[in-house]
Amino acid sequence: MVDIGILLQILFWGIYAGCIYILLATGLNLIFGVMKIVNFAHGEFLMIGAYITATIFLISGINPYVIILLAMLALIGIGAVVERLCFRPILGTGKLNEIFLSIGLIYIFQNGAAMVWGDEWQSVKSPYEGIAVPFGPLNLPLDYIIIMVLTAAILALLFLFLQKTRIGREMRATSQNRKGAMLVGINVERMDVLSFGIGCALAAAAGTLWVVSGQVFNPYMGSIPAVKAFAIIILGGLGSIPGAIIGGLLYGIAENAAAYFLGGVWKDAISFIILIVVLVFRPTGLFGESGE
Amino acid sequence: MRYSVLFMVIALIAAACIAGCTQQQAQQPSPASGGEIKIGVIASLTGPASNVGKNMWQSAQIAGDEINAQGGVQLGASGTKVPVRLIVGDDESTQQGGQKAATKLITDDKVDILVGGYSSAVTSAYQQTIAEYKVPYIVTGASSPVITHRTDIDTSYVFHHCPTTDSYGEYTTTFIDQVVRPAVNKKLGASDDRPFRLALIYQDTAYGKGVQTAVQNTIAKNNLNIVLVSEQGYRMGESDFRTPLTVIKAENPDAVYLGAFPNEGAPIITQARRDIGLDTIFLNVENNDNAQFYKDLGQYGEGAIIESRFSPYTAPVGALATAQENFKNSYSAKWGMYPDMMGASTYEGIYIAAEAVGKAGTTDKASVHQALVDLTMPEVIEAMKGGTISFTKDYRESRFDLWMEQLAYDPNAGECRPHIVWPDNLKVTEFTLPSWYKPGSA
Repeated sequence: MVDIGILLQILFWGIYAGCIYILLATGLNLIFGVMKIVNFAHGEFLMIGAYITATIFLISGINPYVIILLAMLALIGIGAVVERLCFRPILGTGKLNEIFLSIGLIYIFQNGAAMVWGDEWQSVKSPYEGIAVPFGPLNLPLDYIIIMVLTAAILALLFLFLQKTRIGREMRATSQNRKGAMLVGINVERMDVLSFGIGCALAAAAGTLWVVSGQVFNPYMGSIPAVKAFAIIILGGLGSIPGAIIGGLLYGIAENAAAYFLGGVWKDAISFIILIVVLVFRPTGLFGESGE
Repeated sequence: MRYSVLFMVIALIAAACIAGCTQQQAQQPSPASGGEIKIGVIASLTGPASNVGKNMWQSAQIAGDEINAQGGVQLGASGTKVPVRLIVGDDESTQQGGQKAATKLITDDKVDILVGGYSSAVTSAYQQTIAEYKVPYIVTGASSPVITHRTDIDTSYVFHHCPTTDSYGEYTTTFIDQVVRPAVNKKLGASDDRPFRLALIYQDTAYGKGVQTAVQNTIAKNNLNIVLVSEQGYRMGESDFRTPLTVIKAENPDAVYLGAFPNEGAPIITQARRDIGLDTIFLNVENNDNAQFYKDLGQYGEGAIIESRFSPYTAPVGALATAQENFKNSYSAKWGMYPDMMGASTYEGIYIAAEAVGKAGTTDKASVHQALVDLTMPEVIEAMKGGTISFTKDYRESRFDLWMEQLAYDPNAGECRPHIVWPDNLKVTEFTLPSWYKPGSA
């Protein structure tokens, strides 16, 4: 007999993991949607966000949930520089160039981080650790509730930005039809740099939440989450932000359910099993459009 | 769109393949000239095990410096002394990286002997190369007995200078039976026939499964009154253990035994106590006895147990205490940190390699191999059975004297510190159940 309390607890851990995936995958999908580029170095922005948060927290003692704003701002800047110096010159020259450029960036960011911060595993402790909120049969740690609320808030702000602001609408227009957007006078290069910066900021937010949840991090931590983020956006549909949200949540829950029902070694494999099954029945992903 | 998806899937698979191969290459000296003994050191300088791997490489350098400061290694009875030169190979904490490192050290650098190896899974991956080139290899970190017990390839050139999962798994399970189980029964007011509820959480590799097998075999062989209530595996390098810990908590264990690396063990204990409310005794494998582990654990390490043979923060009273202290001082003076246990055995591994080449009087690999087979040398910094280092005739394993430590929070350090609690001839204090400890129930 399966204990409902345990299932709820595992669902909770799955939603928490999903929050990290959602932020990472949404940023990746935003970039892909607007620029149509493949950036395998996206996980490194999560890693840099994690280190920025940890460094500021350890030096200043500022609440890490406040530092998330600083980390996101810093990554907007870093993302803009990377887009301008690395991706813009090769835009439209072929997917292989993008792939090898992003692989090169992985090496640069990882080794750069190792030089600056060392490559030891590190962790920091949230000021709210040890505080739990009773919820029915569960005792939910406050940090994870904050993480979920923050994720929802960031996604709501992104939604408002994309739907209600002029720049957001221009970004969506660029995503839907780049040439059309150019014809109506939208500065698509500006949209590129903005989408790349915002995508990196979302990765930084994921990195911050990774750190405050007490998970260990080192310069090589980004590779596997990045691969999963790609799997999520393919699952959800390339360029679809709702798809990234649903996909991220699905992956987080599926991974933890697999760890419970099948064992921890199935945790990563289940993500790709789901991906294959979905692609067999719906090659465009859950929310992808065939015309995109 | 279909082509886009297909392309992305292919690219994704390619990225997954290279994800583990993105670490920096280790600095390596130029190829050797003659008149020196070239010792290859295989260590995880990058990747998930880099914390331990760097300690191994840095410890090896301390030994190399000491040997060369004495004029080098005396070759046979001739009296000729030659220096040692250490060449590192970074296994990148991956099987592919290990294969690259071993091949390069053997074929490019043409080392005379190899020392090191941490992850059993990684070390196993390049053993075929060791067998093919017949290079003597003193393994100082990989603890799965498979390393020298496997029969699918020739392991005769591999010598195991660290306790195996069989030996320390049995030792820890015996400690649980003789010390922890009576203490829990006493707390509960239960009789001795109450089965002790032990849970396992282990890395799903040769190392972690070795710990699991050792516990199962020890319980069965000695008919111990211990029940394994939950056995949870996880992928190497995992950082989120909340779900398997939730499953373990639901089984109400009296204690949890971890078959984990330090970068996994500290999060397991922290997440268990902080997030899951699993207030129990956590027993750890010896490789966790390093400074970073104590730092990462913080106050959550209180009451935890580590099976050990070398600790940065304690040493059993006796003749080896000074030798250990000297090593720790040399290490911290050169590297600004404490050495760990894998560093200690690698430090000894360099001395063993030097002794073997010295006894052989040549760098000829077959002669060095024979010297290792016949080796008997005084213990260096770690306590060995009988006070000497030698390798068993069947599986070429050296025999260590082990002990168990319990961690207590030190407010001055802001971290926990270990105190030896077993065996009786070494202990400095008694094992105690912390006030917050919650025993299991059926």
